[in-house]
Amino acid sequence: MKIIIQIAIIFSICWVSQIVEALIPIAFPASVIGMVLLLILLLTRVLRVDHIREKSDFLLSNMAFFFIPAGVSIINYFDILASSLLPFLVVCVVSTVLTFAVTAYAVRLTRALMDRRKK
Amino acid sequence: MMSELFASPFFGIALSILAFLIGVEIRKRTGLELCNPLLIAIVLVSAVLLICRIPYEDYNQGGAVINMFLAPATVCLAVSIYTRIQLLKENWLPILVGCTAGSLTSMGSIYGLCRLFRLDEAVTASLLPKSVTTPIAIEVSSRLGGIQAITVVAVIFTGILGSIFAPLLIKVFRVKDPVAAGLAIGACSHAVGTSKALELGETEGAMSGLAIGVCGILTVLFSLFLVP
Repeated sequence: MKIIIQIAIIFSICWVSQIVEALIPIAFPASVIGMVLLLILLLTRVLRVDHIREKSDFLLSNMAFFFIPAGVSIINYFDILASSLLPFLVVCVVSTVLTFAVTAYAVRLTRALMDRRKK
Repeated sequence: MMSELFASPFFGIALSILAFLIGVEIRKRTGLELCNPLLIAIVLVSAVLLICRIPYEDYNQGGAVINMFLAPATVCLAVSIYTRIQLLKENWLPILVGCTAGSLTSMGSIYGLCRLFRLDEAVTASLLPKSVTTPIAIEVSSRLGGIQAITVVAVIFTGILGSIFAPLLIKVFRVKDPVAAGLAIGACSHAVGTSKALELGETEGAMSGLAIGVCGILTVLFSLFLVP
């Protein structure tokens, strides 16, 4: 019974966020609306983590599994990937290194400025 | 007759679970970051479909059922943010500045490089959100006219890169602060990188986990300004 109720809670949030997505004028994805919605429900203590613990543990710890079908559809796009494989690899490597460096320096700078302010 | 056998949702689901279990087992036995269970599962399922000449549409009878869980899984990311809410409150400014800078750098550098290599619009849109967690990345990608499959492959590849090179990047860029290191790992390589960050330390892991959610939301916000 417990699991069924937890599924009902999470699926309801998903459904409500789909309605919200249809109502708002900007193209904000329903799943991210649902994520913000659940965070608000938790912060306002309407829901406690206990109410959805098993279901959310199940979804979060098996997260990678749910992407298999989306990944497998790559067999329909082999030609596109093969024709731009080298640029694909370069884009991934360079942007990953840049993102790491900029994030690390931005955090360091922010924390240094905050420390100076405190003094 | 044969083709009808594979057009059952049970086939696709069973095959996916089996492939994923094999992937998890290989990862456990080898301990190599490169042996990502999701990557192994995608390769195995693709190989079975190609070798047995099973159409993707047949496999996707089950695939569509699995896909249905993507939205609930994304919603549950809120739980992982909520459990670290104290840490978020204490460090909200560095987190916000770091994740904003990281998300913009990621999207900006990908856009610039794609232009440089003259990649077409669809591939560019597929790559743009590749530094954020998969469910959010595929939402952003399909909204911009990208190809979900390419996005998934790019996201996994980026995650593996991040988890393999995180210790090296920390040394090269002399990142001594665990908060900065964790946020940087999470911003560039989402959940796959976070598993590495957890090995480096508790603060690194928690910060990396927070960066997944924050960068995800920020990337969606920034993508709203891009015209598909």
